[in-house]
Amino acid sequence: MEALHKQFPNEDFALIAIVLLLPLIGAFVNGVFGKRLGKDAVRLMALSAIGGSFLASALTFVMLATQHGEGKLSWLAWRWMGVTGRMGQTIPVDVKFSVDAMTATMMLVVTGVGFLIHLYSSEYMRKDPGYHRFFSYLNLFCFSMLVLITADNLPVLFVGWEGVGMCSYLLIGFWFTEEKNAKAGKKAFVVNRIGDFGLIVAMCLLFYYVGSVHWDGIEKNANALLTPIKIWPIGNLSKETLPAFLATILIPDKPVQVYGATLVALALFLGCAGKSAQIPLYVWLPDAMAGPTPVSALIHAATMVTAGVYLVARLHFVFILSPAAMAVVAVTGVCTALLAASIGLFQHDLKKVLAYSTVSQLGFMFIGVGVGAFAGGFFHVFTHAFFKACLFLGAGSVIHAMHARIHDTDKSQDMRNMGGLKRFMPLTRYTFLASCFAIAGLPLTAGFWSKDEILWSAFSVKITPPMALGGMTPFEWPSWLGQAIFWAAVLAATMTSFYMFRAYFMTFHGNFRGWKIVKGWKDPHAGHDDHHGHHEETGPLEGPEPRESPAAMTAPLVILAAFALFAGFLYAHPIHVEPLGHLLEGVFDDAKRVVGERPGVEDMMWPMMGAGFAAFLVGTAAAMWVYLNKAGAPERAFAARMPGLYRLIYDKWRIDELYDATVVGMVDALADIFTMADRWLVDGVLARLTAALAALIGTLLRAVQNGRVQVYAASMLLGLAGVGWFLAAPHAEVVVDDTEVRQSGQIKLSAAPGYGYSFHWDGLGQADSKLSERSDVTVRLEPGEKKDVTVKVKNAFGLETSKTVSVSRPALPPGMKPPEQPKVPSMVRPDIPTGEIPGDEIHKLLLPKGAQ
Amino acid sequence: MSTVPVEYFLVVAAALFVVGSVGFLLRRNLLVLLMSIELMLNSVNLTLVAYNRLRPINHDGQNLAFFVIAVAAAEAAVGLAIVLAFFRVRKTIHSDEANLLKN
Repeated sequence: MEALHKQFPNEDFALIAIVLLLPLIGAFVNGVFGKRLGKDAVRLMALSAIGGSFLASALTFVMLATQHGEGKLSWLAWRWMGVTGRMGQTIPVDVKFSVDAMTATMMLVVTGVGFLIHLYSSEYMRKDPGYHRFFSYLNLFCFSMLVLITADNLPVLFVGWEGVGMCSYLLIGFWFTEEKNAKAGKKAFVVNRIGDFGLIVAMCLLFYYVGSVHWDGIEKNANALLTPIKIWPIGNLSKETLPAFLATILIPDKPVQVYGATLVALALFLGCAGKSAQIPLYVWLPDAMAGPTPVSALIHAATMVTAGVYLVARLHFVFILSPAAMAVVAVTGVCTALLAASIGLFQHDLKKVLAYSTVSQLGFMFIGVGVGAFAGGFFHVFTHAFFKACLFLGAGSVIHAMHARIHDTDKSQDMRNMGGLKRFMPLTRYTFLASCFAIAGLPLTAGFWSKDEILWSAFSVKITPPMALGGMTPFEWPSWLGQAIFWAAVLAATMTSFYMFRAYFMTFHGNFRGWKIVKGWKDPHAGHDDHHGHHEETGPLEGPEPRESPAAMTAPLVILAAFALFAGFLYAHPIHVEPLGHLLEGVFDDAKRVVGERPGVEDMMWPMMGAGFAAFLVGTAAAMWVYLNKAGAPERAFAARMPGLYRLIYDKWRIDELYDATVVGMVDALADIFTMADRWLVDGVLARLTAALAALIGTLLRAVQNGRVQVYAASMLLGLAGVGWFLAAPHAEVVVDDTEVRQSGQIKLSAAPGYGYSFHWDGLGQADSKLSERSDVTVRLEPGEKKDVTVKVKNAFGLETSKTVSVSRPALPPGMKPPEQPKVPSMVRPDIPTGEIPGDEIHKLLLPKGAQ
Repeated sequence: MSTVPVEYFLVVAAALFVVGSVGFLLRRNLLVLLMSIELMLNSVNLTLVAYNRLRPINHDGQNLAFFVIAVAAAEAAVGLAIVLAFFRVRKTIHSDEANLLKN
């Protein structure tokens, strides 16, 4: 260990490079050579890449925990660029990575869960022709995710952020031949762009106001964000520059100001809401289930979607400066948790239930970080990764079994076609059950500890606002807000345990509804049934018993289920078993300044834990009664009694339709306008009209190009004659230089020179000069005076022409004296006459005395 | 010995050039066209040597006239070859018949 610490010192921790580069190499090899390598080699490459990365991450974690001093491990890959700040200073932006306790934990989750899911996929995707493509994307995703979490500054994090977004897009639309999947990928991408806009804005604000984008730099200078920033009216907008009717509407009497911290935190949170599927940007995540199930487990449950929570926790020193932004985060979290949980109640698609459950759990995480329990919120990221990955992989295992006879994607995921699978798939069933317990919050499971920590933090929270600066009163949390969030979250938790056990009972209990099980059934199409869904079957479907998945798929399930049950003891705050908690809390030391406990709640921790436990009991018992004892009859009765409400919830509160009608419709209308402009303006005027004009000119000129040599020769002669005439005729052009006319009234006139030209100036106010070779003269004007000066030009052939220019000097404003002529210093030779000098005599004065 | 003034040469040269250019523009016989070109070139030569008499330093005019003669010889060789080739194809040397590329 000592040798390792010496090999990898804290400031130059090159082990991170190994963690990062192994998946990148895997992605490259599989992406470029995968087709020729064959499936076995692809699997070996992908698994060894992510497995090696996991080992390196584990070593990193151990070295972080056993290091002597405090602090993080960092590695500077290279200097990227410098940005000029508002003080003119150079803000360095380096490609730098660093690992602290939170990053190290996250690295273990990404590479560990990632490895298990790779292993699972190697079996799940076995028959897919895009095997190498799949693993290339999956490895690339792991690389991007690792960049995201190990980044030491916001721009590098953004690279990873976009990288995981792209991999998510590629994997949602992995089976892109179906339009539904391609559309889901596009939706995820576009919705995420909206969030990324917020992230970029936050980055620019940090560059401008804080002058740093590295974590340490932001933390050190975060107080710069406590100044008020004027956000409206922007720029030069004011009552004077706008028409009156607009000004009364748009310009308030007092400019709108917010704290810089609030602005940055809200912009950041927009990005987080996009990536982590919070209201209002959550709509992409349920659709993202169009991707293969392992993808849903890895990207859309365990890792990528928690990046938003990670970012809030990472930049907690910005969020704690703004209680208002924290309130927004927490309230958004609880609203999302409630809304998504309510949608999950009546979904029939197993993956849809899990998707809404993920959105809801992400809401819980945001409640945690929103009420200042950054360690607690992050710990829920950690435990959620295990039980949700396990649930998704279990669902994948079930779908895999269903595919034996049902090839339609939607039907094979419909829980109404499942049931009674506990007899056929015991391993899947028990691991699924364990994870259900964890997510529903059975005491002592992982989900219980993390969810309880969040609930308790919400209940007991007291946020001390930072000092008021700039004459603004900072937002204060009302005392009821924390409790309101607590009770709403308990309600969401009740719904969670209800829909999770609903899914469990519908899938694994009761009678199997997928097809009629015939012992010893043989597939009549065996041998040529490689393509799914080519043949229509009539009559009731018959088939063999559903079979348990192979070991490569069940082994990850078992490991994940074990973690889902027992990982909670890494941070069981109430019973003071918290090895991970000690590591994490070092990261969030700053938060203690702001986040505290309300007075008088010390004794209420255990009773309030009862509320969480009650949520589990009520939800589970209700689900058991409805779906195990009554086999779903009450749900059907409810649907029959209140069909409108049931449909509304089943249709996800029709939020998608609302978005279609408003935002999407508006964008579509805008696109239609642009299409019209493109068709008529660009295509019509710019393209067609210019083409027609060119064609017309061509038609005219074609008449001259008739192929007769004599016509060409004649036109040549004409041109020659024109050039000759131009050369023979004199040309009079005058350049007027009046830069000094306001000062001294002098204007320089110079005529264009020519070969053999002589000039004659008229109208200068003195005796007309004779023809001379001088091409320039100087005129002096009094204020308000105007003169017409004519120049006559004669060339060598004796031809003459002339040109007249008007020169004038502006009149002085009334009451102003003409500017004083600068006094000529006495060192000038005394025999030069002072006073006015006629313009064309100056050059004589400059000649030597005798030559005058 | 009195010399002929330079204007005389210039007038003769201008007359030659006009004869050449009018011939080139109005006639359609390719051989005549070539001869018209020779006339114009020679009028230029005449101008050059006349000016050379006016300013004999370096004999620039004479030198240039030699160049023009050389170029004229080359032009005549190529031009006659073209005329010959054209005659073989069309059995005529009327310039208006040289319209193979048209239409």
